[in-house]
Amino acid sequence: MSGAKGRKYEKKMKHQPTSVTFHTGDPGVSSSKNYNGAGAQQQERKYGGIQPQRDQPWTPSSSFKHYHEQSHYRDGQTSQGFPKYITATTFAQARAAEVKAMLKAVSNKNSNSQVFQALPKHMRRRAMSSNVKRIPRRLRAIAKRELEKASQQKKEQSKNKSRKARRRHGNLLLEFNRRQRKNLWLETHIWHAKRFHMVKKWGYCLGDKPTSKCYRACYRAMTKHCLLQDLSYYCCLELTGGENELLKALARLTNRETGLTFAAVGCLSGKKQGSLVLYKAEKYPLEPLGPVTFLWKPKKMSEDRQLWIWFHPALKQDLIPQLKTVCQCGEPVVQSIPLPEPSTVVSTVEEMPEPVSVGSKRKRKDGTPLEEITVKKFIREKTSPTLIPACWKSQTTGIVLRDLTLEILRYRLIGPLSHSVLSDALYPASLCKIFHSQHEKHCSWWPEYCNEDNLFLHERQQNLFQLLRGIASPAEISAGTVLGLVVDDPRLTLPRKRTKSMPNLSMLPDFEKVRQLTVEGITDETSASPIWDQAVRDDVTRSKISEQELNRMKMEILVPGSRLDLGAKESKIPILLIHQSGKLTGQECLGWGSGWDILIPKGWGMAFWISLIYRGARAGGLQEGLKHSQHKGTAHFPDDFPDCAAGMRFSGEQKKELLDKYKRRPPSKRPNYIKHGSVAPFLCPWQQLVEEWEMILKIEDERGVPEECRGALPAPESSGEQMSKGVKVKCADEEMKGSPGAADFSILRNRTVLKQISAWCLPTSGKGKRANCPASFSRQQIPSGAALLISAHNPRCLVWTRLSLLKKGSPTSHALICIPDPGDIQMLCADLTFCGPQEPKHKDHFKKKIKELKKKKLASSPGASCKVQGIGCSELPSKLISGLWPEPLPSITSHCTRVTIGFVLRGDFSLTAGCGEALGLVSVAGLLHMLSQQSSDRKGLVLVRNPASLQYRFARIMVEV
Amino acid sequence: MAENRGGSAQSLHLKPEWEMDPAEYTLRKRLPRKLPKRRNDIYINMKTNFRTQLTRCQKLLDSGQFTDICIHGLGLAVHRAINIALQLHANSFGELQISANTSTVELVDDLEPEVDHVEPITQIRSNSAIHIRVFHAASKA
Repeated sequence: MSGAKGRKYEKKMKHQPTSVTFHTGDPGVSSSKNYNGAGAQQQERKYGGIQPQRDQPWTPSSSFKHYHEQSHYRDGQTSQGFPKYITATTFAQARAAEVKAMLKAVSNKNSNSQVFQALPKHMRRRAMSSNVKRIPRRLRAIAKRELEKASQQKKEQSKNKSRKARRRHGNLLLEFNRRQRKNLWLETHIWHAKRFHMVKKWGYCLGDKPTSKCYRACYRAMTKHCLLQDLSYYCCLELTGGENELLKALARLTNRETGLTFAAVGCLSGKKQGSLVLYKAEKYPLEPLGPVTFLWKPKKMSEDRQLWIWFHPALKQDLIPQLKTVCQCGEPVVQSIPLPEPSTVVSTVEEMPEPVSVGSKRKRKDGTPLEEITVKKFIREKTSPTLIPACWKSQTTGIVLRDLTLEILRYRLIGPLSHSVLSDALYPASLCKIFHSQHEKHCSWWPEYCNEDNLFLHERQQNLFQLLRGIASPAEISAGTVLGLVVDDPRLTLPRKRTKSMPNLSMLPDFEKVRQLTVEGITDETSASPIWDQAVRDDVTRSKISEQELNRMKMEILVPGSRLDLGAKESKIPILLIHQSGKLTGQECLGWGSGWDILIPKGWGMAFWISLIYRGARAGGLQEGLKHSQHKGTAHFPDDFPDCAAGMRFSGEQKKELLDKYKRRPPSKRPNYIKHGSVAPFLCPWQQLVEEWEMILKIEDERGVPEECRGALPAPESSGEQMSKGVKVKCADEEMKGSPGAADFSILRNRTVLKQISAWCLPTSGKGKRANCPASFSRQQIPSGAALLISAHNPRCLVWTRLSLLKKGSPTSHALICIPDPGDIQMLCADLTFCGPQEPKHKDHFKKKIKELKKKKLASSPGASCKVQGIGCSELPSKLISGLWPEPLPSITSHCTRVTIGFVLRGDFSLTAGCGEALGLVSVAGLLHMLSQQSSDRKGLVLVRNPASLQYRFARIMVEV
Repeated sequence: MAENRGGSAQSLHLKPEWEMDPAEYTLRKRLPRKLPKRRNDIYINMKTNFRTQLTRCQKLLDSGQFTDICIHGLGLAVHRAINIALQLHANSFGELQISANTSTVELVDDLEPEVDHVEPITQIRSNSAIHIRVFHAASKA
């Protein structure tokens, strides 16, 4: 019987009574049953040994004869002793048991089916499950009982309120607040939750990727149209204080070698956004914290400066303590805000239009003052940030550190059409006509703000913003430009349907002005915006007219569809537009992926989001952000920063996730990484890599082999083998110490060194030599002294590289980057179709061990007495996973036939370049070692091999600065 | 896009003979200004295959939608634009005619500071461009 059939049969027999047969050890009993008609009587007669009176009419001879024949025949068949008699009691008992079992089987139906389900097909009727009268009368009683039982169960389950009650606005908000106790929601959460796969990360619920299939569509949006991302989860810290004090304090976290710092002239004036990598105080080049972007408030007469630092939430727990120590901000400032003050406790949910409008049909008197309702609402909101002090002050330096996370929202627009989307969605605020009617409570800040200077500024900002419409791509504006603006309520100018904004050819602005904007950029006055002022932000958030109110007013307009004129009630929202540069480095696709960021005061998220979406922007999630940075060729935090604490945490989590996924498959259905020669397919052992390369260099130095005589392969391999033991010892030592916390390696961020390495990576002759590179950096054969010097200075350094595959193949993460043999390169020169060498299959020595262990375990498991032994066995295999190297890894560099210098962080087929591309980290020592041996026209060629493949593929390595 | 090697760097803020100090600045070239494009405009670049660009032009002409097409080339791509136009002319056996215009395109370079105390600079540099109109001989008459 096949498996499925067997299971079905078993299921069927499960509810059957087990002891149908009454075993008397007498086969004759059962066989007698099929004896025709009077079998039982006959048996009774013969077993009883009594001559029945009823048989008399028959001819005795024939009957006797027949009887004899039968008995003979049966004897022959059963070949057992035929009982001469039976006892009536046992026989009756046996029958009784049978009858009982039969009755039980009939009365007891399958437990998981209802009565009407057990009916034969021809007796079934529609709606039998709900209507008892559809069931045959004899079964009605049972069915009724079943129905009642089911309804009772249902009632017990749903103790909650009715759906209508649950969906009531207030209850819904309470429920939402309960659900975001652990992970905060962004203002656009509900919009995203309907369309995206949501993930819980860094204390937020974030949209990972859209549920629709849109990989290409999102790419196209980035290249040709506009992609919109909600980056409100980014943290913002505000530092206020004297300029000198701030710069002095922050200088301890930065280093001039890595490029511009907080003191850069262009950024200090406030007209540009800067970005840099922070280090722990005076720890450079070790212990980096992570990348941040910063923005100075444009200078005014007053002494105090304001600085915003924007960073990823994964960085928050490391950065804030560092900043506090650097600024000597000790005591937290208790924000003296009374409880009903709505500004601090505005929730993220309150502004959602969908939940508010759905099911909130409560009748409300029009006379109710708006303020009262809003306050009521606000009190219900969550007040989580108030528990943690979000403000610190220093007595000595006077610096105030304030956490503005979720106070200011940040949306990112990527793509060439972001200009037209922005200029369609946002309308610069109309001027305040009624200066003197300040008794109006709403929008109190705007009339005050409208003095002569500010009006002049507003007009200039407005003109500049109009000019943006005439610029076809954000790549034509200098990177990091900041433009302040005050705009009208975007809900008033919302189109009725989703449209796609395209550049309007008839409304092209003056060419000369556009040219001036692109060349001279934006002057620092125009980057000022009232959004910097806390009071204004609060006022704007508070004075927002609710969606419901707005819709009601829209309904009451005389001409449907015309623009609503709110007069003085209309809110004016200060925003900040920040230019994001696209691809800056490399030769191809320059300016790809540039766009604008909008900063909006909180509470207005949904209004702006819908307005942008209705102009044809496509929404993207975390995955799209990752792809954007990958095509742009920049590192993404925290994925690509394994030297930062946040990056280490990330890679640890990633390893766990990948390992779980790997273990879910049976060994025969997953790659055997040992056979593929991939030592660490889930977590790149950077520490071991840099240590091994340091050792290789040391050994070479000791040997003092001249550069020319050094063979390409034997030196590192043999040395690798020599040192593999050393490394193992070292690893063991470190384990003994038990200090795996801080990384002993770092990523090279010294720009001069990077530029030098970048120049060396380019081929100096042949096809690619035309690539422009600064003339000052020598592009000739690498002077061995300089290379040695660099690698000696940075023995444990890694460097970010971009790899673009020459031919087929798309690299995946954790792929190996190896040095090609001279033979490989010769093959490539000779045969243009040569894809790359193959790694011979490795042998899996652990397979046998695992098998043995399994056998032992099996042997020990059935007996309960061997349990102790079994536990002893199970400890070992927890480390041994079939197909993976167990913990003390072998030497990484010399494990395969080609010498490994690094690993790929992220790779994929790049739609911009049309070939496989990857971002990888390689050891500086290894890279320089490789470059010093390669001939000038084939410089920078490496081999890339995916962890689940034996095929090496050629790739060109580039260090982009 | 085409690389621009010949154009002499002309500083906007400083004297023309000013030389960039690589220790202070990094040169970043911006893309040339993108203008609205009609369907019969073809921008020639150096990355796409020559033959592909030629067939694209040929198809546009053969489609019958347009009586003329415009081929634009900038900098290094000027000679390729000329080549394509001449090829089209030669392949048509006198049916197509060409007329060329040259122009100068202003390109913008950013000089990004490497050290804190210098201001970012924007330079304007000129490069030559060619615009070739290829049209059917009959349509002109």
